[in-house]
Amino acid sequence: MPHSEEQDKECELRRLEESIQDRPDDPSLRFELGVLLWEQDEKEKAAEQFVVAAKLNPEIEKGGAFRYLGLYYAGLESQSHAQRALKCLQKAVSLNPDDSVSGEALCDLLDQQGIETLEVAACREASQKSPRAFWAFQRLGYLQLHQNKCSEAVHSLQHAIRGYPTSPVLWEALGLAYQRLGRFTAALKSYGRAIELEGTRIFALIESGNIYLMLGSYKKGVEAFQQALEFSPKSVSAHYGLSSGLLGLAKECINLGAFRWGATVLEEASKVAWTSTHLAGNMSSIWKLHGDILLTYAKCYPWMEEDRGLEFDVGAFNNSILSWKHTCCVAAKTARCSYQRALHLAPWQANAYSDIAVTSNFIYSLDNSSGHDSSSWQPSEKMALGALLLEGDNSEFWVGLGCLSNHNALKQHALIRGLQLNVSLAVAWAFLGKLYRKQGEKQFARQAFDCARSIDPSLALPWAGMSADSHSRESAVDEAYESCLRAVQIFPLAEFQIGLAKLALVSGHLSSSQVFGAIKQAMQRAPHYPECHNLNGLVSEAQSNYQSAAVSYRLARCAITNLSGSDTKSQMKDITVNLARALCKAGNALDALQECELLKKEGLLDAESSQIYAFSLWQLGQTDLALTVARNLAECVSAMEQASAAAAVILFSRFLYYISGLDSTINNILQMPKQRFQSSKFSLIVSAIHALDQRNRLKPVGSSIRNNLKTPEEITEMFFLLALGTLVKHGSEYRLGYQKGIDHIRKSLHMYPNSSLLRNLLGYLLLSSEEWKNTHMATRCCSIGTDPIKGGFKMAYEILGAGAVACYAVGNSNPKFSYPTCSYQCLNEPQTIQHLQKCLRQEPWNQNVRYLLVLNLVQKAREERFPRHLCIILRRLIIVALSDELYHKPGIAFRYMKFQLLLCASEICLHDGYLIDCINHANDASMIRLPDAYLFFAHLLLCRAYASEGDAVNLNREYIRCLELSTDYNIGWLCLKFIESHYELKTGLDTLELSFKECSKEMMNSSNMWMALFNLVQGLMSLSSQDTSSAEGFLSQACSLAGAESTLLLCHGATCMELSRLGYDSQFLSLAVRSLTKAQEASLIPLPIVSALLAQAEGSLGSREKWETNLHLEWPTWPPEMRPAELFFQMHLLAKQSKASTDTSSIEFCQSPQGWVLRAIHTNPSCMRYWKALQKLVE
Amino acid sequence: MKLAGLKSIDDAHDESVWAITWVPATEARPALLLTGSLDETVRLWQPDELVNRGKMTGHCLGVASVAAHPLGFIAASASLDSFVRIFDVDSNTTIASFEAPPSEVWQLRFNPQGTMLAAAGGGSASVKVWDTSTWNLVATLSIPRPEGTKPADKSSSKKFVLSVAWSPDGRRIACGSMDGTVSVFDTDRGKFLHHLEGHCMPVRSLVFSPVEPRLLFTGSDDQHVHMYDAEGKTQVGSMSGHNGWVLSVDASTDGAALATGSSDRTVKLWDIGMKAAVQTMSNHNDQVWGVAFRPGGMPGRLASVSDDKSISLYDYS
Repeated sequence: MPHSEEQDKECELRRLEESIQDRPDDPSLRFELGVLLWEQDEKEKAAEQFVVAAKLNPEIEKGGAFRYLGLYYAGLESQSHAQRALKCLQKAVSLNPDDSVSGEALCDLLDQQGIETLEVAACREASQKSPRAFWAFQRLGYLQLHQNKCSEAVHSLQHAIRGYPTSPVLWEALGLAYQRLGRFTAALKSYGRAIELEGTRIFALIESGNIYLMLGSYKKGVEAFQQALEFSPKSVSAHYGLSSGLLGLAKECINLGAFRWGATVLEEASKVAWTSTHLAGNMSSIWKLHGDILLTYAKCYPWMEEDRGLEFDVGAFNNSILSWKHTCCVAAKTARCSYQRALHLAPWQANAYSDIAVTSNFIYSLDNSSGHDSSSWQPSEKMALGALLLEGDNSEFWVGLGCLSNHNALKQHALIRGLQLNVSLAVAWAFLGKLYRKQGEKQFARQAFDCARSIDPSLALPWAGMSADSHSRESAVDEAYESCLRAVQIFPLAEFQIGLAKLALVSGHLSSSQVFGAIKQAMQRAPHYPECHNLNGLVSEAQSNYQSAAVSYRLARCAITNLSGSDTKSQMKDITVNLARALCKAGNALDALQECELLKKEGLLDAESSQIYAFSLWQLGQTDLALTVARNLAECVSAMEQASAAAAVILFSRFLYYISGLDSTINNILQMPKQRFQSSKFSLIVSAIHALDQRNRLKPVGSSIRNNLKTPEEITEMFFLLALGTLVKHGSEYRLGYQKGIDHIRKSLHMYPNSSLLRNLLGYLLLSSEEWKNTHMATRCCSIGTDPIKGGFKMAYEILGAGAVACYAVGNSNPKFSYPTCSYQCLNEPQTIQHLQKCLRQEPWNQNVRYLLVLNLVQKAREERFPRHLCIILRRLIIVALSDELYHKPGIAFRYMKFQLLLCASEICLHDGYLIDCINHANDASMIRLPDAYLFFAHLLLCRAYASEGDAVNLNREYIRCLELSTDYNIGWLCLKFIESHYELKTGLDTLELSFKECSKEMMNSSNMWMALFNLVQGLMSLSSQDTSSAEGFLSQACSLAGAESTLLLCHGATCMELSRLGYDSQFLSLAVRSLTKAQEASLIPLPIVSALLAQAEGSLGSREKWETNLHLEWPTWPPEMRPAELFFQMHLLAKQSKASTDTSSIEFCQSPQGWVLRAIHTNPSCMRYWKALQKLVE
Repeated sequence: MKLAGLKSIDDAHDESVWAITWVPATEARPALLLTGSLDETVRLWQPDELVNRGKMTGHCLGVASVAAHPLGFIAASASLDSFVRIFDVDSNTTIASFEAPPSEVWQLRFNPQGTMLAAAGGGSASVKVWDTSTWNLVATLSIPRPEGTKPADKSSSKKFVLSVAWSPDGRRIACGSMDGTVSVFDTDRGKFLHHLEGHCMPVRSLVFSPVEPRLLFTGSDDQHVHMYDAEGKTQVGSMSGHNGWVLSVDASTDGAALATGSSDRTVKLWDIGMKAAVQTMSNHNDQVWGVAFRPGGMPGRLASVSDDKSISLYDYS
């Protein structure tokens, strides 16, 4: 191809030459030839042709000939040619201002000759001539930028960019122009475009980094510099920018209090700065930056708390503090070296002196071990003076001197001098305030702080100063806390933070998370202050983290030994008391006792530590000694202030109760002077003891107690105790006096209807009373709000969950499974599972909720005939619940819960057909140590399992076992009775019935109900043994016992009808009508079958009208998917009968009688009766 | 910055709504909202009109957590019995399902790279991690038992893990426990690093700043929102203002704002720079269990769900 191309060009050349010979005066031919020759690099020959062409027609190709000529002459490099080139190009540009090639060449030429004004003029001319002369705008923009005419440059460059939108250089220039104009965001955008077009634009990267730093977005700045360094690893400005960006980032972290984060960033920064000092070691600013970075590092390097666990090692602690100090010191010293280098390079810069001064002062404060002579000038002061000598009118240097000097007079002078130079210097006011405070001139101090604060509210020191000041006035502790918090939030200085924690202790904010964060940060910067650790311990204690509190106190004690001071002894005592208390609370009585004995040895045992002493003695089982200590304490009560006196008396009374028993406590209380009862806490203790006392010996003091309780909480608590007392006092040996208790608590609740404490107790008592309808009331009297679950004796959700399980009535409202017959309308039961799930969502760790949820789900499963998916969940839930270690704990409550879970598991296995698992679970349950009355149920379940297995021997054995164990739960006996009759077990009827009656006797209100149920069971059994007439006897008895109970009435009615069908006396028919009518009235939701039977009975008695109305009633009682064939058949009868009637709105008319029969046959095709009816209809 | 209510659906579910997440947009559709509720369903909503796009069943107890894969095709949901279902968002076909012992799966989160699914392991005191290609359990990051406690009394030292969060680079996992501690793990090595202390009540929700992998935000029952330097184990900020438990926190994509939902029935918007609440939305009338910022570009969207069965959508600008 190239070969043929060349040949083509050759041909073209020849053709042109020939045509020129034909027409030598045609300029365009000559121009064409010139271009061809130019392209073949025969420039001289080309120039000849161009000259001729230009002569013939100067305007050929818009001055194209001149362009080529100009380029030709410009390439020849000599003065004369240059002039010629200039002229040609000028001509070319004037003929075609859009011609960028000649324009650029012209400008380059002018540039070479250094004639900038001409260059600008040429560009301007071209740009004015044509708006498309983009080269001119570009040139002009660069030149204007060069001449620092930035706003004009922006204009030109923007225009140029329209022509060359993808030129990174233009964008970069535009960015620079914007940057110089101070339009930083616009500059960033332009630089960003340049970088987008060409990733390696170092200038754009570095400058945008600088802008980011200036705008305070250090992170973005750092990224830009890092990118720049990738392409140009030796760029000093990129290094400088990166390290100052990192420094900025670190300062941001430090201001948040993230010292460790800051330190990591600074380590990186110092590495980068160090590299840049190698690249350009003679720039003082780089050394200053390095110094800045290291000084910041020294000021933020945190003391690392080793993961020391709970073990405590004095040596390691001291070492860690020493190494921390060492690191800080080394960094500060290196910083001072760097500052010195900077000073050495640029000794005229005053701030270098003050930098060194500040660093020296910091180093001095770090290792104050080396004693300084206070009379001589210290290096820091000298350097500060050095700065002042250079710039005496710089107010900040005066402030610097004021801070660094050790002489108060000089300090004051320097600060005031600073203020004279600049009266609105907030820092100077603040330090002046600090100075005055130190000198004890509080009035002046406050004024100075006020001044500083009003000038610059974002300065931390005045806030801290104000708080320290108001701390002395007891009234305004909260105010002080607030302003100190402000200071800490502005600047996380360890001293401020410690102050904050101290104020929090006084004002009761110790458990606030701000204080926690502050003291943790203070620990990182002031690990050598004992009060820092002490306060940290107090904060941990406020958050109930006693073990780490104890560790902190030990650290505090360790730090105090390293400190030399006057009042270490009293501090030591306070810390030891704190330590003993924390240990005691953490359950480490032995160590607490040791600490107390230590105090005792030194004679420092005060009221608080004595209490701890007594308590730990008691915990360790040294009851006598504990009692003695407590008694001693209680005896010197009169010398104490009220709060601790009350505490001492309470402690003593409680010990007395636990150690010596009720009687001696009561005697002791009776002997006490009346004013003791003024403490509400003590009053409640007395009430509690009173509640336990069967003989009411504390009655005389009762009235004085009641008068001392003020707040509603205390009073409800008192009512709570009184109710408990009623339970104890009215109960028998085996059973508490529930009914009395319920009555009592009802009255109290009337007074305090909002008290959840009383409400829940009422619910609990109602449940515990085991009366028939109380379970419904129990669930109704407890309100589960959306509030987080609150503490108390029994929680509302527990009452609700237990109540729902305890309710014997079916709670399910879905008629697919069963019909609710409960007349108490416990409508909230279906919601219980949802409520429990809500509780579980709030407290997923709460095993109690889980347990109740399992029980409720089992109940639901029972009601819904054990649906598969529910059984699967339940099996999993139960297996996991059983594996929980909670149920291996001692205590009958846990054993009982485990027992229940095992029974649930067993029952579910029984229904799923896993008989072996079922028997195993039930056997496990029967092994648990529980009262026989409970174990009965395990064996009952075993009976069921063996029965369904067909294992008669074992069944009989378990049955006997049940009889032996016996229970006081009626339902158990009823179930056993069923099993007994169903499997024709060796009759123990007498024992069973006797035991049943025995346990019903205890119930007052519900014994009738239970007897009715027993009769029902007997009736049902008689029915199944075809003994209908005795069944009727039992059932009528049941009905008379239970009152209006629709299910019993239905049973009785149905039995009566059966009897009449069998040809017994016709009075049974009217009995049936009576029972069924009652059943119809009694049921809440219309029960199916009742109306149909009633219709039949009425029909048999001859009342056709009643037959019809009742059949009408029957239809809606069935849910659509469950309608039986007989119902359709009955409807067919109805439709047939009332064909003549005009009332067509009734249901039977929606289909023809034939249709009804067809539906009946469709539902149950095996019944001959329907076919016959169909046949009749068809005929 | 501010929030403006866009749309609210009052009876979005039949029962309390407990979980919410955004399913990122795919080529075929915009980003969707996924909610889980006590009514045992997971539902899909299309903003801004909150059109119901589907109802997914398959759980037998309330749905406590939902999570969406960063690519937007698959999502996961977990119910109170710790049954986890992974499904295709658009077709609702089950991709995988696994069962942990009940109480051992709580909050779910995919890592930003989409290769792992982490679950707060509840009573197992650990974070469980599944591989999203094979759905095998690949790691169990256990919180070490504090020293000095005997191995015998397990229950006292066990920390119930409620919440989990991935750092934006996927290298760290943080989890919050019922005793208020936050634990940080190294995911590459599967190692426990340290605890972050400061809360004294359950930490129900935490989230890393999307722009700064070191910065972690936590919300706790002690009514505070804390900021931590998760690497340097330092608390760097504490924000208070709620009058109830802080149940949910989420950070906006630009890293400048934080949203919290609380049992005081409000949603608050916080300016992270100022460390202060800038707006309080009180349109819910029960506790707010979940808040979620839409990931990705503008315009910003925030959604919240509550026990009052409703979903609310806000414009964040």
